[in-house]
Amino acid sequence: MKTAAASRTLHEAKPAWPAIAFLLVCFVLPVGALLLRSVTDPQWGLQNFAELLATGTYARVLFNTFLVAATVTLASLIVGYPLAWLIVMLPRRWQQLLLAILLMSMWTSLLARTYAWLVLLQKTGVINRLLMFLGVIDQPLALVNNLVGVVIGMTYIMLPFVVLPLRATLSSIDPALMHAGAICGASSFRLFRSVLLPLSLPGIGAAGLMVFVMSLGYYITPALLGGTSNMMLAELITQTVQSFLNWGLGAAAAVILLAATLLLYAVHMRYLDEAER
Amino acid sequence: MILTRGQGGLFRYVLYGHAALAMAFLLLPIVFIALLSLGSSRWLAFPPPEWTLKWYQELAGDPRWAESLWLSLRLALCVTILSVLLGGAAAFALTRGRFRGRRLLKAFFVSPMIVPVVIVAIALYSFSLKLGLNGTFIGFVAGHLIIAVPFSVICVGNSLRAFDIALEQAAAICGASRLQTLRRVTIPVIAPGLMAAAIFSFLASWDEVVISIFMASPQLQTLPVRMWTSLRMDLSPVIAAVSTLLVLASMLLMLVLGLLLIRRAPK
Repeated sequence: MKTAAASRTLHEAKPAWPAIAFLLVCFVLPVGALLLRSVTDPQWGLQNFAELLATGTYARVLFNTFLVAATVTLASLIVGYPLAWLIVMLPRRWQQLLLAILLMSMWTSLLARTYAWLVLLQKTGVINRLLMFLGVIDQPLALVNNLVGVVIGMTYIMLPFVVLPLRATLSSIDPALMHAGAICGASSFRLFRSVLLPLSLPGIGAAGLMVFVMSLGYYITPALLGGTSNMMLAELITQTVQSFLNWGLGAAAAVILLAATLLLYAVHMRYLDEAER
Repeated sequence: MILTRGQGGLFRYVLYGHAALAMAFLLLPIVFIALLSLGSSRWLAFPPPEWTLKWYQELAGDPRWAESLWLSLRLALCVTILSVLLGGAAAFALTRGRFRGRRLLKAFFVSPMIVPVVIVAIALYSFSLKLGLNGTFIGFVAGHLIIAVPFSVICVGNSLRAFDIALEQAAAICGASRLQTLRRVTIPVIAPGLMAAAIFSFLASWDEVVISIFMASPQLQTLPVRMWTSLRMDLSPVIAAVSTLLVLASMLLMLVLGLLLIRRAPK
């Protein structure tokens, strides 16, 4: 018996070696080398970090990155939570339809979606024209190449990442709790505030953190929908490296982005562990 | 169901209204692109003065788009195969192995998902400049594989964990060799996991923009890179035509997957 069964338990990581070797050479080595340049380029020292934090424009990029990530997180939670709730409430057939629409938007090419928003939000675009037609505004609003454009475009992309986990959280809440509240005469809003919201708080935290982390390092959408005055870290990194060939400074910005990402990710994992308990 | 019928009053309608708006928000860009691609205005006037297929003709007439499409397809297929092989083998080691540092190794395999893509892209850019890999097919494959492997490790790992090892033992007792067991027992049972790994790897490569932008050369541009470069120049309706075709492709993929799932469900 021992031979048959034991021969199939591995005692070493042999089958994993090709993948490990590949990631070490093509991922760990290049990323490590890049991060190292933050303290070695052009010479040893912390001068790149000092420049990054002391220069007004760079400090503003840092601030702006966190501002955009926070706004996008908040916006996608506000839009996504009721949607997740409705999906849980609906009969199965409707549930599947809404999920299919959600997945379809998620699987549509990122550039296609960003392009659509870029056109929709123009000064002469459909949204401005519609608002003017309805008499809401009489001058076209600046909806693109600024913070508004970035937030709209990124919220759109992040929405599925909020709705899908929240749907899982909400459907695991025992409906009897809501029934009990309703029988006791609580209004719907009261039920939401005192039963559903507290119970789904861990899910909200986990989904929100995930979106925040993903937004921090986003490049494509902010680069296309944002303006020069609200640049984010990812774009700063590519610009300093590509246009100014300042690898040291770009690497320092990368270190800051990575550190923030890893820190928040660690918090996220703690959160998930606690939510599971 | 959390709120049942007859409950809710006004608040319920607020919820419905909100969700309807959210769905409209989700659908708006997709529908809009499709309509835009059929409009005749080069300046994207909407609603368009007339309907036309000329952007699709322009797209079909420009060989550069076809080259990009072909490159993206070849690339995604290569990445899918390598990702399932490398990631699948790694998942085997992770679920079956009894060696030290397994948790650490697991974290290592998902780490490319956590590190912001832009950092990976810049790092690879500097690395491949030194090695002369920029603008080569190999460079693209390596870059996309970094993003794809974690998906394979997770998907194959999930189905291996649900796999009953007694099946393999039974095969061994019946005299099957290790290779036979793998080929006739293990792989058929974990096929859904392998399929999921392949789909996610394919999509990871197919829709990858950031790494590709830095890896690309004027001669070698994947479809997203070509879209990115033309987007930066102007908002030509040809991009709307490409986007519409991409949306149709992903709808088709979803339909096929949905049918596969429905077929499997009754059993």
